Amino acid sequence: MEAIKGLFNLVADPRLFFLLSVVALVLIVWKREAFAKLSVGYGLMGFLTAFFLFGLFDENFVLIIAKPDNVPIVALIFLVVFFTWYSMREAVLNDQRVAAGEDVIEKQESDRVWVWPDLVYTELIALVLCSAVLVVWSIALEAPIEQPANPANTPNPSKAPWYFLGLQEMLVYFDPWLAGVVLPSLIIVGLMAIPYIDTNPKGNGYYTFNERKAEITIFLFGFVILWSSLIVLGTFLRGPNWNFFGPFEYWDVHKLEALNNVQLSEYLWVRGAGTALPDNILVREGVGILLSLAYVTVLPVLLAKTVLKRYYEKMGPTRFYVGAFLFLMMLSLPIKMFSRWLVNLKYVVSIPEWFFNI
Amino acid sequence: MANKKSVGHAYNVDFLNVVFAASSLFLFFTTIWMVFDDFDREWKGYQRQFVLLEGYVTSLSLQAAQAGIDQDRLQQLNAERAAAEQELAANGQRVAELESQLADVEADFYLANQQYNFLKADYDVERYAYEELQEEHPEEAAELRPAIDDMYDRWVELGMRVEELVARRDDLRAQIGEFTGGVADADDEIGELTAEATRLAALVEDLQVDFVGDVLLNAPLLDFMAPSLTVQQTITPNVHDELNFIRFQKMDRCRTCHIAIDREGYEAYPQPYTTHPRLETYVGSASPHPLATTGCTVCHEGMGQSIGFVHSSHTPETEEQMHAWEEQYGWEVPHLWDYPMLPTDMTEASCAKCHTETVYVDEAENLNLAYGLYERAGCYACHTTTGFTDLRKPGPNLTKIASKLSPEWVSSWIRDPREVKPSTWMPRVWYNSNTSSPEDAVRNEVEIDAAVAYLFANSEEHDFAVLFPPRGNAERGQELVESVGCLACHITEDQDRLAAGTRRTFGQPLQNIGNKTSYEWLFDWVRDPTHFSSETYMPDLRLTNREAADIATYLSTLTGPDGRGAEATYDDGEVTAVLLDYVRSILPTAEAEELVGGMSLDEQRIDLGQRVIGRYGCFSCHEIAGFEGAQPIGIELSEEGSKLLPRLDFAFVHDIPHTKVEWFKQKMRDPRAFDRNRVLQPLEKLRMPDFEMSEEESKLFATAIMSFQSDVQPLAAKPPRSARNDALRDGRNLVRRRNCIGCHEIEEDGGDYVALVDDPSLAPPMLTPQGAKVKPDWMYAFLQGPIPIRPWLDVRMPSFGLDDAHWNGVIDYFGAISDTVGEFRTHDILSAAAVPREGEELFDLLRCQQCHVLDTIPADQPTDNLAPDLRMARERLQPDWIVDWLRAPLEIQPGTRMPMFWTDFPASPYPQLDSDGPRQLEAIRDYLLTFEGGPSPIRGN
Repeated sequence: MEAIKGLFNLVADPRLFFLLSVVALVLIVWKREAFAKLSVGYGLMGFLTAFFLFGLFDENFVLIIAKPDNVPIVALIFLVVFFTWYSMREAVLNDQRVAAGEDVIEKQESDRVWVWPDLVYTELIALVLCSAVLVVWSIALEAPIEQPANPANTPNPSKAPWYFLGLQEMLVYFDPWLAGVVLPSLIIVGLMAIPYIDTNPKGNGYYTFNERKAEITIFLFGFVILWSSLIVLGTFLRGPNWNFFGPFEYWDVHKLEALNNVQLSEYLWVRGAGTALPDNILVREGVGILLSLAYVTVLPVLLAKTVLKRYYEKMGPTRFYVGAFLFLMMLSLPIKMFSRWLVNLKYVVSIPEWFFNI
Repeated sequence: MANKKSVGHAYNVDFLNVVFAASSLFLFFTTIWMVFDDFDREWKGYQRQFVLLEGYVTSLSLQAAQAGIDQDRLQQLNAERAAAEQELAANGQRVAELESQLADVEADFYLANQQYNFLKADYDVERYAYEELQEEHPEEAAELRPAIDDMYDRWVELGMRVEELVARRDDLRAQIGEFTGGVADADDEIGELTAEATRLAALVEDLQVDFVGDVLLNAPLLDFMAPSLTVQQTITPNVHDELNFIRFQKMDRCRTCHIAIDREGYEAYPQPYTTHPRLETYVGSASPHPLATTGCTVCHEGMGQSIGFVHSSHTPETEEQMHAWEEQYGWEVPHLWDYPMLPTDMTEASCAKCHTETVYVDEAENLNLAYGLYERAGCYACHTTTGFTDLRKPGPNLTKIASKLSPEWVSSWIRDPREVKPSTWMPRVWYNSNTSSPEDAVRNEVEIDAAVAYLFANSEEHDFAVLFPPRGNAERGQELVESVGCLACHITEDQDRLAAGTRRTFGQPLQNIGNKTSYEWLFDWVRDPTHFSSETYMPDLRLTNREAADIATYLSTLTGPDGRGAEATYDDGEVTAVLLDYVRSILPTAEAEELVGGMSLDEQRIDLGQRVIGRYGCFSCHEIAGFEGAQPIGIELSEEGSKLLPRLDFAFVHDIPHTKVEWFKQKMRDPRAFDRNRVLQPLEKLRMPDFEMSEEESKLFATAIMSFQSDVQPLAAKPPRSARNDALRDGRNLVRRRNCIGCHEIEEDGGDYVALVDDPSLAPPMLTPQGAKVKPDWMYAFLQGPIPIRPWLDVRMPSFGLDDAHWNGVIDYFGAISDTVGEFRTHDILSAAAVPREGEELFDLLRCQQCHVLDTIPADQPTDNLAPDLRMARERLQPDWIVDWLRAPLEIQPGTRMPMFWTDFPASPYPQLDSDGPRQLEAIRDYLLTFEGGPSPIRGN
């Protein structure tokens, strides 16, 4: 029992958690035909159910899972897993049909349906069900009145609303102006830009994977791993002082984590060259600045000429560079996470004098 | 796509029908559930239950009221009424005639009065129009004038008509009244006799469960209109909550469930229906803390705006109750509100929130006990606390320690004081829960030896007043100790310090004192405590040298265990190592080593001793040379009770509920407990010493700490600052801090000495009425130089040697209690010849001299019957008070032996002065005041 809990606590460590998520994504994409099997779907849902049932016997687990605010996030886990699996299964089935020279499933259905009953009736049913669920929710998960917020006595941990927990997680790795301003803006701009970047008409109106391999993989990485699972992590696994706690661990405010992180400039000058940090800020941070600039300017060009040449030719320069820029910004989060975990890198560019850190 | 298919269905409609039916049913049942959930709210259940209880309780009081009616009188009244009715019937024709006339007149009056009022309204309108026109167009206005005047005349005329009709109506009514008066009078009297029963009967009727009021209006879905089950809230105008630096009125909804809290008659019923147990002081509308302005949570704390048992943050009093609540209500440690309810036996902690005009709060027994303990334990010495500043150091002066104690004794004493004296308040500094492991022993011993070495190295010489004191008789000494009053402040036997109480542990417990010090020192101290320590609070009992010798001899026979011996031996290197550890915490290692290396071993030990004393704060409680003006080591506690929970570190202590009260209690039980399981260097460890408090003691101390609150309540909530309140505060502090109430009961507190004598009349007197009783100049002289008032008592009033400011404070305090502060009252003292003869007659008749001394002490009386010399009255007593005293001595001093002679005052059983009680009292008083020549502190006895 304790060993199983210990295992889960270990796996839930953000480093391992993230790594395993990425591995899982690779496996899902790579072995999608196996993943799409009904048995895998049942197995996944069964495993999740078993996990939560198992957890109900643990005091600390229940404390955090059964908190009324958190219960919907449990539902979110089930929903995200289910729909990821379901869409992948539908896509695999269609791809198999296409490979066998048949039409996709959606083609066989009529492309026009009656407003009544098909549209209005289903809308009514949805309305009724949503109302009922909201009523049950408000009765079963109580939201008691508390005292007015006191800025002199903030809760520990202070958590953002659930849908922002992914952003809050970014604050661990980035300066607030990046994690709180630049990256969220780019997420919104990027989502708006998608229809203009991705003009591939294939896959419209039916499930497919083979025809949109890169797009779907990027989406799964961005949404399931960088967004949804960071919400789950922020809800259940971040405790007092924003320290990480395993799902079966007691949230002790005294738990400590050594945040011994090092700037890139320190790596270069103090540890590498064995000298003190230069006084001139630009000299001190020069390499970091160049690296950062190269990341968004040189790297896309290199990619266009080498590994992504095919895409460059297909998309044209504007689409390609905008897309590559957004993609690289997305990737900057895992890159920063890994460089923190592997080499304790604090900032690539650190100019506290100007309140500027990357 | 070229091959467009025909319009089809995306779903199977039959299946959709099923889904729709199922989801509709789902919605239907959840809606029912929602309505039921609202109907089934906790507080509604209590209120529904209460409707039945209220009916039952009211019908019980109806029965009692009915049983209380004087049936004979009722019968008599009914008979009278019947007779009057007969008489009325006999005059029936005449009455009917009059009534018909009255009806006509009343109709006329109604009409006339209406016309009168209407005309006045019309007149006012016209008059205004005229007045306005007069201002704008005077020429046009003149035309209107006659019409206005005419209206006025008509109005006056109508008025006269109304008056006439009123007169006729009243006349007719009076005529009818002559016939019906008998019946009406009887009805009135019957009504008066049965008023309470009638009122209750109506109430019982009203409380019957009826369909519309109790069922329909409270029915689910209909209860939005005018339900009788409603949330009851009190918004307190003058009692505030503070949040985010904003103060706003409290909103207490406690009464929603505690519905009868302010109503008498529900004392016997369980929570939440019960009546407040102290309705005369709290919640009652006539009490000083009425519900409407005080509310509930300012005293009890908790979340007043909540109406759920758990969310309103109820706090269990015991662990059993906690488990019971967990079962019954799903109770959990409150986390929605920063100030959960106080356990009921700690509620008095809240008194101090508003009663900032005083330290010791009237009637708050628990709180006052807690404050008393707080002073005894000397908490204020390390922890600055508002209200407890400017107190003396609680421990003895150690600047002359070498003349009093031996180093060996001091070592074993501080190693574990309670091994030597179980009742002491001296805490244990070493060998506590975080310093008791075998590895700690060496360091403990090094530190103990160093502290002792420092004290003795810095001890001054003491000049013994008598170099070779005579030995006395231990038996006589014991008698003296047990009779002159020592035991008011000291205990000699092993006794639980809480059971002994704050007053009797005011002075050091005398257990084991024979082991502690020498006969010479004891003699010197008992003879004159101020000779050794000028700032001591021990008063002078005016002992002769002989008595001092007897007492000192007796005290040296009080011996006991030697205390705990050293638990480790060490070599000299350890002293250097420990000293180095201390010095390195303030100096770089190289400098520290240089400093320590330059000292001899003795110097090292003494230097270490100073640092040890500084670290553990011994100087906070004791006068120690070299620490004059040092700051106390503890944190300030003045607002500790308002501290927020997250500011308290529970560390790894998980076996107590994480609440403020429990944290404080844990800190009291074991001040070092929060070091449990932590890896700490010696200088990082917690250092509060261990008082080894019992569960009861820790609860009382937690009560004291919870009472130290930040000042949030507005001035309007607090008793006003006034000279009288200041005198009360200072007086209450003084009589506790000088332990007057160890001997005397004052304001219903103290007077422990009564338990030490055979008969209450042999104890020091109760002093509450002293302000009204005694003349201030006499009191001043008496306090300066006490004389025996009752020479037959063994116990002595000591000389305290206080300054004028203190004595005036005492006099003002007594004046403030009786509300006579600062009053000079003239009273003519009549010459013996001018006093009415009856004064002396009554004095002899009532045999005052049988008990009261008049120069000679009556020989045939047992001592407990004796009373003070009446010759003192003239100088000592307020003349008005003598009259009050004679009239009703028991009202002034419950338990007094003075008989009450005028039981039917102002009537009197004695024939003198026409049996006029008040005049008789004055005559006796005037006669008393002619006596002269009694003992007097003013004239120096």
